[in-house]
Amino acid sequence: MNRPPMLMHLKIKGESANFGLWLPLFLLIPLALVVLIILSPLILIGVIVLWPSGWGKKAVLALWAAIVSFCSLRGLKVDVHNPRESVFISVV
Amino acid sequence: MTESKKKILEMLAENKISADDAYRLLNAIDTDEGGRGSAPKVEPGVKTRPKYLRVNIVPDPDAEGSSGDRVNVRVPMSLIRAGIKLTSLIPAEAMDKVNGALKDKGINFDVRSIKSEDIEELIEALSELEVDVVSGRGENVKVFAE
Repeated sequence: MNRPPMLMHLKIKGESANFGLWLPLFLLIPLALVVLIILSPLILIGVIVLWPSGWGKKAVLALWAAIVSFCSLRGLKVDVHNPRESVFISVV
Repeated sequence: MTESKKKILEMLAENKISADDAYRLLNAIDTDEGGRGSAPKVEPGVKTRPKYLRVNIVPDPDAEGSSGDRVNVRVPMSLIRAGIKLTSLIPAEAMDKVNGALKDKGINFDVRSIKSEDIEELIEALSELEVDVVSGRGENVKVFAE
């Protein structure tokens, strides 16, 4: 698994909106961990209840897939612009 | 080494051009190759794992009243890999619907048959991918792995 991304740069330029934003993802990771730890008993109960139906395993895999996908975002760059509007997203 | 570089060096060896001319010509070739914005050159026989999938769309600058979108997207291969692996989480009923929709479009493919080893093979094969299309409106679309 890759290292999680640290920053997200968002820049939107248009007729109605014009702003740039640096999102410090590295500050969100500890926050998400705390939330995950607090919710872990509920998640565990949910997984145990759903396990016989097969959805419990899927829920665990989905959670893991979400973490892996988030960590894979590093390096993503989207830059779409025309003379009037522009959208720039970069994950570093 | 490209054919043109070889030719320049041969001409220099045969004293048909001066060392200065050869230097200028070699520089011009390097600049031309570097400025094309194509995928980085890879020595033949050396297979490198691509890290990103790039999609570039450049509108025709000469088109009258050109206001087309210029697109530059770089997607990490790890994200594509993670995305493909997510297909294993799709419920069987949804898979049937996806397969049905694909069949309706004339694509006879079972999404369930995608396995993790196929994903690696697919991503490795992407290193050789290079799509370069010039549309009727003059837009240049490039898709390549780097």
